[in-house]
Amino acid sequence: MMVSDAGGRPSADEPLDDADFGLLDDIRRLFEAADPMPNDLPERIRFSLALRDLEIEVARLAAEEDRPVLAARGAEQSRTITFDSDSLTIMIRIDANRDGTVRVDGWLAPPQRREIEMKTAAEALTVASDDQGRFAFPRVLRGTAQLVVRPAGQESSGGGRSVVTPALIL
Amino acid sequence: MDGPGPLGPVTVRASQPDRGARIAGLVSAAREGNEDALGQIVTELSPLLWQVARATGLSSGDAEDVLQTVWLRLVAHLDDIHDSAALIGWLVTTAKREAWRVHAAGRKQLPADQELLAELPDQGPGSDEQVILDDQRRMLWVAIGQLSKRCQDLLRIIAFAPRPDYAAVAAALGMPVGSIGPTRGRCLAKLRALLASGPEGSPR
Repeated sequence: MMVSDAGGRPSADEPLDDADFGLLDDIRRLFEAADPMPNDLPERIRFSLALRDLEIEVARLAAEEDRPVLAARGAEQSRTITFDSDSLTIMIRIDANRDGTVRVDGWLAPPQRREIEMKTAAEALTVASDDQGRFAFPRVLRGTAQLVVRPAGQESSGGGRSVVTPALIL
Repeated sequence: MDGPGPLGPVTVRASQPDRGARIAGLVSAAREGNEDALGQIVTELSPLLWQVARATGLSSGDAEDVLQTVWLRLVAHLDDIHDSAALIGWLVTTAKREAWRVHAAGRKQLPADQELLAELPDQGPGSDEQVILDDQRRMLWVAIGQLSKRCQDLLRIIAFAPRPDYAAVAAALGMPVGSIGPTRGRCLAKLRALLASGPEGSPR
């Protein structure tokens, strides 16, 4: 009834046969059921790869913290997320606005003036950080979003690479 | 032996034999800046990388972060990659490294893997056919659980890889040459022996 060879035990040295491929198909189906990848993940990844930047430096998610804050009406969440790349640390705080959008406050370390883009499905917002590395997006639509820190000026030693974060859900 | 595998007729995905060649074509298109080609590679190979990340014991959320980082890093490395085996080798190696990086950072860890093999999700009551299928699935699940962790991870991940690239994936996982592809390898031979010995061979 189960997979078996008429000639006895299957040997490790034989070439893969149809029964092996069938078994691997079954294993794939098992793990697709037992540990499915979230359906929307490839879509989110495709969103984050739609970049016009050719030279990129990847900022990894380093820490994420949810903190309840006392808002005017009940408890609201404030999220703090830190991303690290080889040359830059990006920290952002996300707070809910009353109109359903969110406010994103950010800091770059080491502090520096850079052009920063917040890419969402609906729009791309661009702001600049100040000398202290601070920047803010007062109103961002909720949903999938990605930050892109554009290259520093040619005169700086940082080179021409954009620092990009993974897609996050605001 | 031809004929049905343990879970009924062996269904070969229509795309399977050409999958490697198709991916190679997508890689060169992606290198030339074709965003849709890159997107198709993401859709095609993310399930494989998901299993790589989860097999290390990462939580779902951490595994998602690992996949995003791996794909973003690929964009920066696309010029160095020229065929399907190289792409898959690079992706699997990088996914494993990024996963261990998250473990090392000590972020919200969860021993997902141990829980995972303990229980198969219940599909609910179904037709007689469904019951037979469930029974066979359970037997396969129990047999896999009797393999070493290394063999479990190898087979789980290989099952999501394109056929021509089994050896490249095994090498990227640090398995010895010949652990799978073109020969059957020890893990798959052991699994088949366990299945052939039937349910009495598996403690319940």
